[in-house]
Amino acid sequence: MNQQTSENFAQNARVALQDTTLRGALKNLAKTFGGRRKTAISSVENWEELREKARSIKDETLLHLDKYLEKFAENAEKAGAKIHWARDGKEACQIVLDLINTKNAVHVVKSKSMATEEIHLNHALENSGIEPVETDLGEWIIQLAEETPSHIVVPAIHKTKKQIAELFVEKVGIAPTEDVDVLTKTARNILRSKFAEAEIGISGVNFGVAETGTILILENEGNARLTTSLPKTHIAVMGIEKIIPKFTDLDVFLKLLPRSGTGQKLTTYQSLITGTKQNANGEGPEEVHIVLMDNGRSKMLAHPVTRQSLACIRCGACLNACPVYQQIGGHAYGSVYPGPIGAVITPQLVGIGKTKQLPYASSLCGACREVCPVKIDIPGLLLHLRAEITEGEANGKKSDSEAKGKFAESLAFKVYSIAWGNAGTYKFGTKTARFMQKAVAKNGKIGKVSNLMAKIAPPLGNWTEFRDAPTIAPKSFRDIWAEGLKEDLPANERE
Amino acid sequence: MDTNTAKSAIFDSIRRNLAESLPFDEIYNEHKVNRPQDEIIEIFDNSRSKSSLAEIFRENLRSIGANCEIVEDKSKAVSFIQTRINEKKLKKIAVSDAGLIGEIVGLLEFAGDFIRNASKEVLFETDLGITSAQFGIAETGTLVIESDKEFNRLASLVPPIHICVLEAEKIHQTLGEVLQELEKDLSRSVTFITGQSRTSDIELTLALGVHGPAELHVILIEKKI
Ligand code: SF4
Repeated sequence: MNQQTSENFAQNARVALQDTTLRGALKNLAKTFGGRRKTAISSVENWEELREKARSIKDETLLHLDKYLEKFAENAEKAGAKIHWARDGKEACQIVLDLINTKNAVHVVKSKSMATEEIHLNHALENSGIEPVETDLGEWIIQLAEETPSHIVVPAIHKTKKQIAELFVEKVGIAPTEDVDVLTKTARNILRSKFAEAEIGISGVNFGVAETGTILILENEGNARLTTSLPKTHIAVMGIEKIIPKFTDLDVFLKLLPRSGTGQKLTTYQSLITGTKQNANGEGPEEVHIVLMDNGRSKMLAHPVTRQSLACIRCGACLNACPVYQQIGGHAYGSVYPGPIGAVITPQLVGIGKTKQLPYASSLCGACREVCPVKIDIPGLLLHLRAEITEGEANGKKSDSEAKGKFAESLAFKVYSIAWGNAGTYKFGTKTARFMQKAVAKNGKIGKVSNLMAKIAPPLGNWTEFRDAPTIAPKSFRDIWAEGLKEDLPANERE
Repeated sequence: MDTNTAKSAIFDSIRRNLAESLPFDEIYNEHKVNRPQDEIIEIFDNSRSKSSLAEIFRENLRSIGANCEIVEDKSKAVSFIQTRINEKKLKKIAVSDAGLIGEIVGLLEFAGDFIRNASKEVLFETDLGITSAQFGIAETGTLVIESDKEFNRLASLVPPIHICVLEAEKIHQTLGEVLQELEKDLSRSVTFITGQSRTSDIELTLALGVHGPAELHVILIEKKI
């Protein structure tokens, strides 16, 4: 149904803006999850310390990812799991399909996993005649509706109760109702029969512990517990960035993730799975397969700015806080990962060519950076990607002056992204951007820069309401700007 | 598919890209990154009370809508469960193999079947699951069950009601402490349970019992000395 693409972002967004039902749902989301998050962290006085710790654990892990991955694989295999390696989504899908075929399995259940969404696993399995059943309520709803998730935590946020009720009447033949409990019970009963017959359970992974080979899955419903323990074979699909070094590192992440995402102290269930059961009468599946997937991730290691993307723990807080996401929802992004984190990882995962508009799908208000539990500088990343885009365009230009212009623009983004990264506690708003534009223009020193600044200023700014953003100290920015840019600009573009 | 080829390609790519990053790391100072100290950071919770761990556990669990009772001894736990059994007209009860649960089950009057080690099919027909747990976490109201210590954790998930009986002395203040304990002898499967199975997938409206139990009762036995 929703076959929107990233290429048409602006157009998708315009359409989404007309959808008042969607806007209502998104407003509810921002209010509910945003509010709960605030309450949950307000009693934690050392929240900042937790964020710092989590981020430095992630940074150190990523800088030695090869070492930790090797350790994880070794320990998981020691405990009886089988490790598979997939360079890309296609390989990962093939591995899963081969495993299913080896088992002669026909009944496959799945728990919620963004990694499998990312590689369109369901589609690949369906093409081979396997119909995997999504068992997370939200995922099941969108599977019935033949749609895609519009949020990484609440996939069916774009659907109303009424639409879901109609869908259930049509697809599973219940009597019309709008009672959420009845709808939920319906899902429970139907999905129980799927669990009963499933030979294979497919899940994602939230964290993989290198020192023990443990995988951890967080959830609220209990379907991941059923998926990973009832079927004889469990296949876990996991991005290579999910590794954390130590078992006790789970502590800080389990404190941050639920509080940030849904405002819970802890989600209802955590399953910590280390290999397979020890004896035949034990609990759990006979076989555990872990598919470790790169699919564009290792490329992000090549620069400290892009590397941050791999620290993401998929809590969804940046979506809930983003004024752009709140207006247009997830589908307009035309990508599996929507919102601020989607705008930065999609171009890196699938290539910048068709996703050029996404790094501009932000007003750079900085709300995402503020809520991110692992302190990912999403605005800085967006600017970095904008620099890459314009650099690419510069290389494609025929005339020298045109190329120079593009080149200068790319530099502007780069400098700006460094300035941003160094801005520390400053909050950035459109006001700030406009202020800087003026400041630079008035200074009149760097010829074309005011034009460049105009391009940095948010293209979507007029859609959104902004919180009061204190202005950045102009001097610090100008200093960096002057030092950084002047040297790199072609001589005739300097003051 | 040749998994070794894929593996070495991934590792090559990781190493190549990290090497490419080095000059930038210097600008961004990220090359200095070290692992933080290994000490667990306890949450400094400004709402933390001076109550006992059992009381903090109870408060946290109740705040998310589950039931928690602190009782003095095993016999009180038995009568609590007996009341539920009498009220609800149950037929099949799944029980774990924990010693404490065995003792309690021995004292219950029940006309139906207690099922230990239920098969998947039978488990789906049970109306109540009774388990113990190996740890409690006070700061979150969490139960922790280790598969190597207590068989069958699905009794805590599949039946519509879960009753857990836990000695209060097994409650620790923090998640971090419990992780340190678990690590000493890590079970193949460890499950953390905080409240009832829940979803907000339909218009963010809370609904309980979507896949697991809609009702959770935790009975903490606090031996008064
Ligand atoms: S970028 Fe940060 S806030 Fe957004 S989903 Fe990832 S961890 Fe959460």
